[in-house]
Amino acid sequence: MTTPILAQAQDALARVKTEGVLKVGTETAFAPFDFIDATGEHAGFNVDAFAEVGKELGVKIKWVELPWDGVLPALEAGQFNMVAGPATITKARMERYRFLSPVAEATVAILRRAKDDTIKTPQDIAGKTVGAGKATAQLAQLKTFGATLPKPVETREYPGFNEAYADLAAGRIAAVANSLPNIAYVASKQPAVFAVVKPPFGQKSYFGYIGTKKPDDQPLLDAVQAALVKIKTDGRMKKLQEKWFGTAFDTPDVAPEPSF
Amino acid sequence: MSARLFELMLKAAGTTVVISFVSIGIGLLIGILVCAAKLSPRPWLRWPAVLFVSFFRGVPLLVQLLLIYNLLPAIGLAVPSLVAALIGLSLCTAAYQAENLRGGFTSVPRGLLEAADMVGLSPWQQFRRIRAPIALRLTVPALVNEAILILKASSLVSVVGVIELTRTAQNLAASTYEPLLFYSVAGGLYLAINWMVAGGGSLTERALRRGRLA
Repeated sequence: MTTPILAQAQDALARVKTEGVLKVGTETAFAPFDFIDATGEHAGFNVDAFAEVGKELGVKIKWVELPWDGVLPALEAGQFNMVAGPATITKARMERYRFLSPVAEATVAILRRAKDDTIKTPQDIAGKTVGAGKATAQLAQLKTFGATLPKPVETREYPGFNEAYADLAAGRIAAVANSLPNIAYVASKQPAVFAVVKPPFGQKSYFGYIGTKKPDDQPLLDAVQAALVKIKTDGRMKKLQEKWFGTAFDTPDVAPEPSF
Repeated sequence: MSARLFELMLKAAGTTVVISFVSIGIGLLIGILVCAAKLSPRPWLRWPAVLFVSFFRGVPLLVQLLLIYNLLPAIGLAVPSLVAALIGLSLCTAAYQAENLRGGFTSVPRGLLEAADMVGLSPWQQFRRIRAPIALRLTVPALVNEAILILKASSLVSVVGVIELTRTAQNLAASTYEPLLFYSVAGGLYLAINWMVAGGGSLTERALRRGRLA
């Protein structure tokens, strides 16, 4: 007779364990973290990383796909347990959300057309039109960096980065600003079309998975955090990073205080 | 495009068809009730119907979908993506269908109803034999139009996490770098589905004209 009352008293961790399902929101348009691959399967670093998290917690992962600007509002509305964006760890987001152990470096770099010789360093985007995703930290970094250049950078905002890459390939914009792992992946997939402009610019930053700050969610997020740290410690994370980014990153166990 | 990817596109087209037709069906039922309420002489029935129609016809479907998906959980109803999409599409199309039906009913010539009174038909007989058949015949083209509009508007439900034809085309275009191919196939599939809907509509109209239905 006490079961219904107990069920109500359960926190998010107990509910996830009882149902055996961890619901994760994502956008599936952020290769190599998370995308629909050329065979139509949902694939990427996030899919593999959460498969490991699921094993640690003993639960299945259920993915909910939304456009990026809808993912965080839906998390707050309680449509899923956490977000595997991943999102760049920023001050503003840190105030509102809880970031788990970072999974990759997120410092911003420039992607240009392979045949475009006019952009050799990040500073060469001065006076040009550069695209980035709407409401992304990369866009904010691009604007800050653009303001330091002799000629202003015109920014164009896209609902997703894939639209920006398409416009770059079509010559509608001169470059795309996105975090290094993402553009390195795009350039490696299409070396005849795209090239990475090194070095990255702006503040050093990291990508992390996101949960809410609601007290009810904390035991669950603690458990995912512990699983992530375990996956890092035993070397599984390094293997996944090498598989998807072509390089391993040293990432702190706890999300560091962001500088912007 | 490989057979496997074409199969994925067809499956997504299936999702589009199912959510659209279920919504059009539910929307028609709600639309009939709303239309009846709006034609009612009683203000307490009429006013809620007027508000319903102004809201769901006056607010963009995209905003309705986001409201349903993000606000319902605030009152303890965390509806899954598919349910949110069906609620949004059904309520929106219900508002339009109610107005289409009302247009049909108010277009029944008064003279016919006066004649029916003269020959002594009861109000129910008048409804069944005269008003409903004429209204239905006047409404069918508008309903087919509405079905086609909803089929296309269903491309918006990806904002609440339903992966339908347009979103699948976007995903596959992004991973294969062949946008032209996938958007052409998506366009072709929408066109094929809507041809069938329009064809079904003309057959229904013809049958109604010959008096085989209703």
